[in-house]
Amino acid sequence: MKIRSLKNLANAHHDSIWAATWAPATADRGALLITGSVDESVKIWKGDELELERTNTGHALGVVSVAAHPSGSMAASTSLDSFVRVFDVDTNATITTLETSPSEAWLMQFDPKGDFLAVAGGGSGSVKLWNTNNWRIETPLTIPNAEANDVRPTERHSGSGKFVLAVAWSNDGKRLACSTMNGVVAIFDAVRGKFLHTLEGHSMPVRSMAFSPIDTRVLFTVSDDKHIHMYDVESRSLISAFSGHASWVLSVDVSPDGSCLATGSSDRTVRLWDLNMRAAVQTMSDHNDQVWSVAFRPPGGDGVRVGRLASVSDDRSVSLYEYT
Amino acid sequence: MAFVYIPVQNSSEEVRVALDQLPRDATDILDILKAEQAPLNLWLTFAREYFKQGKINEFLLILREGSSPEIDEYYSDVKYDRIAILNALGAYYTNLGKVEQKQREKDEHFISATQFYNRASRIDQDEPTTWVGKGQLLLAKGDLDQSYEVFKIVLDGQPDNVPAVLGQACVQFNRGRFQEALNLYKRALQVHPRCPASVRLGLGLCRYRLGQMKKARQAFERVLKLDPENVEALVALGVMNINTNEPDGVREGLESMKAAYEIYPYCAMALNHLANHFFFTGQHYIVDQLMDAALAATDQSKIKAVSYYNLARSYHTKSDYTNAAVYYRASISELKDPREFILPYYGLGQVHLKLGDLRTSLSHFEKVLEIHPDNCETVKAIGIIYLQQGRTDKALENFKKATKQNPRDVDAWVELGELLVSTDFGQALEAFKTAHALLTKSEEPIPFGLLNNIGVLHFERSEMESALQAYRDALGEGIWVDFSEGRALSLGREGGLPISITAENSQFEHLEEEGLSLELPAEKVTVLFNLARLHEQQHETQKAVILYQLIIHKHPQYVDAYMRLAAMALARNDLASSQELVSKVLKVMETHADALSMRGSLELKADDWLKAKETYKSIQNTDGKDSYALLALGNWNYYAAVRGERKDPKLEATHLEKAKELYNKVLVQKPNNMYAANGIGIVLAEKGIFDLSKEVFTQVQEAAAGNVTVEMPDVWINLAHIYLAQGQFALAIKMYQNCLRRFYYNTESQVLLYLARTHYEAEQWQDCKRALLRAIHLAPSNYTLRFDAAIAMQKFSTATLQKPKRTADEVRQSVAELKNALRLFSQLSGVAASHGHGFDEKKIDMHVEYCKHLLDAAKVHLEAAEREEQQNRQKQEVARQLHQAEEARRKAEEERKQQMEKRFREEEARRLQREEEKLRHLMAGWNTKKGGGDNDDDDNGGEKKEKKEKKKRKKKEKKREQSSEPEEEGNYRSPTPEEEDAQDALAAAGLLEESDEEDMRREDPPPKKGRLRRALSESDDEDGSRRRRAVADEHLADSEAEMEYPKGLEDSDTEEQRPVSRRRGKKTRLSESDED
Repeated sequence: MKIRSLKNLANAHHDSIWAATWAPATADRGALLITGSVDESVKIWKGDELELERTNTGHALGVVSVAAHPSGSMAASTSLDSFVRVFDVDTNATITTLETSPSEAWLMQFDPKGDFLAVAGGGSGSVKLWNTNNWRIETPLTIPNAEANDVRPTERHSGSGKFVLAVAWSNDGKRLACSTMNGVVAIFDAVRGKFLHTLEGHSMPVRSMAFSPIDTRVLFTVSDDKHIHMYDVESRSLISAFSGHASWVLSVDVSPDGSCLATGSSDRTVRLWDLNMRAAVQTMSDHNDQVWSVAFRPPGGDGVRVGRLASVSDDRSVSLYEYT
Repeated sequence: MAFVYIPVQNSSEEVRVALDQLPRDATDILDILKAEQAPLNLWLTFAREYFKQGKINEFLLILREGSSPEIDEYYSDVKYDRIAILNALGAYYTNLGKVEQKQREKDEHFISATQFYNRASRIDQDEPTTWVGKGQLLLAKGDLDQSYEVFKIVLDGQPDNVPAVLGQACVQFNRGRFQEALNLYKRALQVHPRCPASVRLGLGLCRYRLGQMKKARQAFERVLKLDPENVEALVALGVMNINTNEPDGVREGLESMKAAYEIYPYCAMALNHLANHFFFTGQHYIVDQLMDAALAATDQSKIKAVSYYNLARSYHTKSDYTNAAVYYRASISELKDPREFILPYYGLGQVHLKLGDLRTSLSHFEKVLEIHPDNCETVKAIGIIYLQQGRTDKALENFKKATKQNPRDVDAWVELGELLVSTDFGQALEAFKTAHALLTKSEEPIPFGLLNNIGVLHFERSEMESALQAYRDALGEGIWVDFSEGRALSLGREGGLPISITAENSQFEHLEEEGLSLELPAEKVTVLFNLARLHEQQHETQKAVILYQLIIHKHPQYVDAYMRLAAMALARNDLASSQELVSKVLKVMETHADALSMRGSLELKADDWLKAKETYKSIQNTDGKDSYALLALGNWNYYAAVRGERKDPKLEATHLEKAKELYNKVLVQKPNNMYAANGIGIVLAEKGIFDLSKEVFTQVQEAAAGNVTVEMPDVWINLAHIYLAQGQFALAIKMYQNCLRRFYYNTESQVLLYLARTHYEAEQWQDCKRALLRAIHLAPSNYTLRFDAAIAMQKFSTATLQKPKRTADEVRQSVAELKNALRLFSQLSGVAASHGHGFDEKKIDMHVEYCKHLLDAAKVHLEAAEREEQQNRQKQEVARQLHQAEEARRKAEEERKQQMEKRFREEEARRLQREEEKLRHLMAGWNTKKGGGDNDDDDNGGEKKEKKEKKKRKKKEKKREQSSEPEEEGNYRSPTPEEEDAQDALAAAGLLEESDEEDMRREDPPPKKGRLRRALSESDDEDGSRRRRAVADEHLADSEAEMEYPKGLEDSDTEEQRPVSRRRGKKTRLSESDED
């Protein structure tokens, strides 16, 4: 289990890069890396050389999040103006534009089957589920008020605590997790559209989450409290906690084989954690500013044996690593 | 049995006197001697015999009688015997003088001796024995040169006079000319091979002094062969053996000493050596007995000194310092000169040090140092005294000297290191490392205290790897190794539940039940705590937590571990756990100042102001010297002053004064307290005294930068605030940016907000917007930021449209930004409606309206601009075509040049001129056309719009006014001390005594949602003021800017003028476009 730096592309965008994801390989091409930046553009990159495939414009204010459909041909991007643009990865044709004003759109994720796009609904305290067939919105999954505004006393603005920041689908598509500014992690039964419970442990914003691809019960959360938590979402128990980052942990992704964890942090590093040893095994310092997103390339595509990990940062660069 | 026969006068009979049965009273003998007129030599014989038997009075009685004038008269012809008697008396007094301590008696004895010898000389001035006696007298008086001369006189007459030779030998020996002395002893032996054994003893001593140990030993052995009971030789041999320092030698030496002791229990020297031996074997009672005997047996001051010393030393080791001091002093009083025997001085120095009498101690050690300037131990001892006297510089000097003199002295290095800790981590570390290296080299165990110190210093220097190594070495094997290396972070039966910060950790009990040893020796707790601190610093919180929990599990009274856990919980915003932990500490120790401080800051964080104040005050009551509590109270007052809930200027001034007073109080206690200084700077700034406060902040910043353990972003922010208030925007921006990057990993949205504010003031709208976007990204739930961003974009658009000259691109951009602003406002409006974030819906709607309106206007602007652009393009096109035509013509002209005449060319020029005029005319025509269009306004709808515009302007001006108010208030982040930190580690390690001051960090001001709403509801204006209020709000400063910042107000006044006039220009423009 290790990663090795392949390439650091400086000035990949004109400004800070806040979002990254991989569009899976399709029949015609390999996987593509999609990045979103404060410069209001979304860029698509190809291959190990990070060759620029296309630049998508059209967003106003910074691009906060990008998500790719499991088919690989469709992706979504959203910016601080809270419009979600769904587009064709290969042609850049706009498929639809989604808006759920007045609630913000924050991080997004397609469910593993590709039937839904879950959008963290910011101040609405809910997750918006869009049906990808007709682009109609399902009943939003709302965190009950009692949970969202629980006793955590530190919020300066009323109601801001339940600002939903991130969403994550379990690999079987049955569970959906969402996380908030005050550290609440809520688990939903995605099939029945029901709130189940919350997970205890964080009291600061949880900006990113990821389910294990090999164990649908296991959820990883990262927080401004510098910690990475590993939960059993069914028993609601904290299995393990990892510490080592010197500042906020902004992003987490699990390797496709489920044995490793990559995290990106405000401390400018990317760390690789071995889940068997439950310890950090590598610290990469390719970036010199906050690392906003890390993403493992999904398996698939021709002749792709070794894995890839990408990271993007406020320093405007994109880094690519080989994962073996 | 020996007999002396006294011939009976006038007969052949003799009186037989048994020598061992001499009558007790010498007068009986004297009577016989006198009656029988016995030969004088018999008198002498009896006297000698009495002497030998120790009956000194009898001896003296006989000799006095024997040297009386009657005898002189009667035996006037028996010269030799008369001389012998006198010489015997002389010798006796010489000896008395020699051993006498008191100078007066000593002198008297010597005078008596001199008188007897002089009388002897009067009888026969050539008698060699008299001369020899005189020589010995001089020798005893210490007059070596004269003594030598006297002996020489004898030798000149009788070169083989053995006593004279021996006398000279003695002189030479005392002069330290051992070779000469040796030669003389040899001569004496040659002349008189059957010399008494003592001559050979002299020989041996010479050889010993000359370093010819083997021959010396032979000599002593020969003495013993001749006289097996010669104590001196036994002692000499013993000393030699002991000095070999080999176990066998020492044992043999002690055997000799014992033999000497058995033969003659009064040989003080042997006693001393024996005592020395028993001292080192720890049999102190024997020492005491031996020394009592020795003291009784000898009059030799030097030997007595040694005996007293041995006694003192014995008491010293028994920690009976008072008695030890008495005997050391006795020993010293036996000595004429410290040079003779220095050890008691050293001992007395040590004892006084123990008794706390530093000055006396110092004077004794200094005496030692006078004689042995290079004695490392003494230099160290003096160093320790200086240290205890607080004369650190001198102490340092001494320990440096000690380490220089003996670079292998581990203790000296350790002491030096500990001295340096307070001033110079680097050098201290070097000293400790040297000690460490020395111990390693000699394969001695390294005390864990030393390792701990090394670890702490590495830690202070941020050399975490080395610190970790040192701590691990110090701790050795134990369960903590697994914890520290992260092997057993999740333990227990459930198969891996992570240790929680607060839980009563049954995991440990499970471990113990499973038979795992969690043994944690008390002396290692501190080191373990330090190790945990290190992990904490490395952000390995899991390891830190488990180690702290282990400490608590085994040593529940170690409250520092609780405090660290509470601090860690606080850092994770887990206030409930933090509170729980603090309560635990306070349950054990009600008045624990740190725990109370922590409780205070927790209460502040929960917005419970009154409680916090009470808590801080209670610290003051229990511990009046806790500068942390003072500081916290100062901060409390500052907050209260700028809190602005009651807008009572008087109250505010009172609070500020109180804050200042408290900060000053802290500074009196701890002049180097940066946090208090920072506080003073803030109060000054609040009062508008910027220059002074800037100076204060700058100094604090420098001090903080010089200290690796202190992080003080507040002072950077405050400095930046000052720059901002003084209009030095570039500097302020730089300062905020550096602060963000250096202290916050760019994560602090608050500082980004300050940055945006500065850009706003500097009218750098795009930078302002970018900073705000970042802030929103970091704190998406802070809607104020969105509002501010929308304002910035609106402002940008307005400003751009106001510009007299702007490109179509610029206008397009401002249209885009207006749309964004509109979008954000609309969203906020929606949010306000559904969630009530403290925004007034109406006001946001007003913004929405305004933006819409501006957007409409901008569209016209855009069209105009685009038209203009179009026209410009056309103009350029025409110009270009003209230029091309001209070019073509010139080329043609050139072609025809040779053919054409000058005249023709003139004509051509005229034609060209005409052409140009025509063009000018055409252009003028365009201009008038445009102007005409403007003038073509019809007054119809104009008035209505004018009205509307007026209203708007009014609103805008009002806004300006409002907005200028809170402008200059700095929001000085105030220092809020944190809990004990790294200092704790030091304190725990025993390196520092006081550790609270430097170790404080700021905490965010407590939440003030209530106030936000209030501020907003009070303001009935729009954008700018809202925005600024929002900024201000975060800082607890409010619109009392005029009160706090007279100067700031001035600034804003002038500021106000400018935009007003500018706005007027803009108004016309707007109406223009309206009408368009």
